[in-house]
Amino acid sequence: MEAKETLDTKGLSCPMPMMKLAKAMKGLNSGDVLEMLGTDPGTKSDLPKWCEKSGNKLLEGKDLDGGVFCFYIQKK
Amino acid sequence: MSDTKKTGVFNDLYQLFFAKHWPVWVGAILAGALNVLMFGISGPWSGSAGYSSWGKNIYDSMNMLGFDGTQSFLENKWAMLSIMIIAGSFIGALMSKSFAIRIPPIGEIIKGILGGCLMAIGATVGIGCSIGGFFSGVPSLSGGAIMLTIGLFLGTIVAVKYLFWEMEHLPKISTGKAYTFLGADEGKGNWQKWLGIIVAIALIFVAYNFFQTGHNIIAWFVIIGGLLGLISQRSIFCIVRAFREPFMSGDADGAKGIIAGILVVLFGFVVIKTMNIGAGDTMARAIEMKAVHNNFWLRGLLGGFVFGIGMTIAGGCAVGTLWRMGEGQIKLWFAALGFVLVSPISSKFIVPWVEDIIPFSMRFKNYLPDYLGYSGSIALVLLILFVWYWFATWNERTGKFSQF
Repeated sequence: MEAKETLDTKGLSCPMPMMKLAKAMKGLNSGDVLEMLGTDPGTKSDLPKWCEKSGNKLLEGKDLDGGVFCFYIQKK
Repeated sequence: MSDTKKTGVFNDLYQLFFAKHWPVWVGAILAGALNVLMFGISGPWSGSAGYSSWGKNIYDSMNMLGFDGTQSFLENKWAMLSIMIIAGSFIGALMSKSFAIRIPPIGEIIKGILGGCLMAIGATVGIGCSIGGFFSGVPSLSGGAIMLTIGLFLGTIVAVKYLFWEMEHLPKISTGKAYTFLGADEGKGNWQKWLGIIVAIALIFVAYNFFQTGHNIIAWFVIIGGLLGLISQRSIFCIVRAFREPFMSGDADGAKGIIAGILVVLFGFVVIKTMNIGAGDTMARAIEMKAVHNNFWLRGLLGGFVFGIGMTIAGGCAVGTLWRMGEGQIKLWFAALGFVLVSPISSKFIVPWVEDIIPFSMRFKNYLPDYLGYSGSIALVLLILFVWYWFATWNERTGKFSQF
């Protein structure tokens, strides 16, 4: 999937990944896609809820190797 | 055919417990029930007492600061509980294949240490942390605990403002080299499940040994600690999230979950206190005054404020730090280190100074039923919980105080 920007939050724990995600999304234009990489298990629950609330679209979420996960989020 | 059915049954169970996180309210209600059980066995749940015991044991082993004769961590139920919360969370993380050693950038590690130090100072000055001072203190109908809770709120708000400021002006603190080890590969990682089962069996074996040697309270605390760790890890049970999220994402699930847990603890504690469970008539007052300390009002408020800043910067409260350690989050290992090493120092050097400057009228034991009766005290706690629930829910809908 093509992403305009990649946000790397690997190693960070709650609440930094979600704070950085919100900041990164503010810098994007409507329709842009952000790729987010992370390792904090709590973020996997927080992120879909936040997308639902904020109106941004969660396009895809998947696990990569080594305990890393990846989400693609499209700005509303 | 029967094998297929058996596999299906176990697979359903696995999916139920470990495929996704549980709702916070499920974890909070279960943790609340275990807190009541701990009161029935020995005393209300305390988080900071465990850190403090570990710290004293470390200084004692090095013959420093005059902590000779400190009770061994093997005999201290709170020290044992805290280590078993880490173990229980480790089991939960392994079973859900979400364990990994997560090393953050150096700036985050320093924030972890500082947060832990502030939590230690806050817990010793305020006589209570997010668990003993709040999750046990408020349902114990302690006036000081309510002041400590207000302090926690205020400290959290200040620290949230700092975190946003830091992200704008000092972004390098949370960026830089980070490392992750031992994480499960995509579609693999069954070794984590097997290791989880082995650690669970080892934990049961430890409890069994304590029972065999007649240390029944410690044995039960091993089991309860393991369960608390597992429950907390699976439900993201963390007091700091409940206090912080209305001022960050606006999510109210954490607050609503913790309120549900407090209601369970309130019900159980009031039954124990009014029925004098665990005491003869002469001990009734001692049971009533459990988790009620000399911290009304300024001492509790001040301690809660400092603890609130610490837990928000560290990213974990007294229990959130422990279960995140079990998930392999290194920042919280450093937060625990700060908490453990500074607790005894603060008790020995900062607390006497605080007691000197705060007059007794601002640091006395306030047991609410002595002033309001049981009905009035329960009504007051319910009113506070209702106002918190209303605020969190209204704020989630309107986004008035949330930042993103």
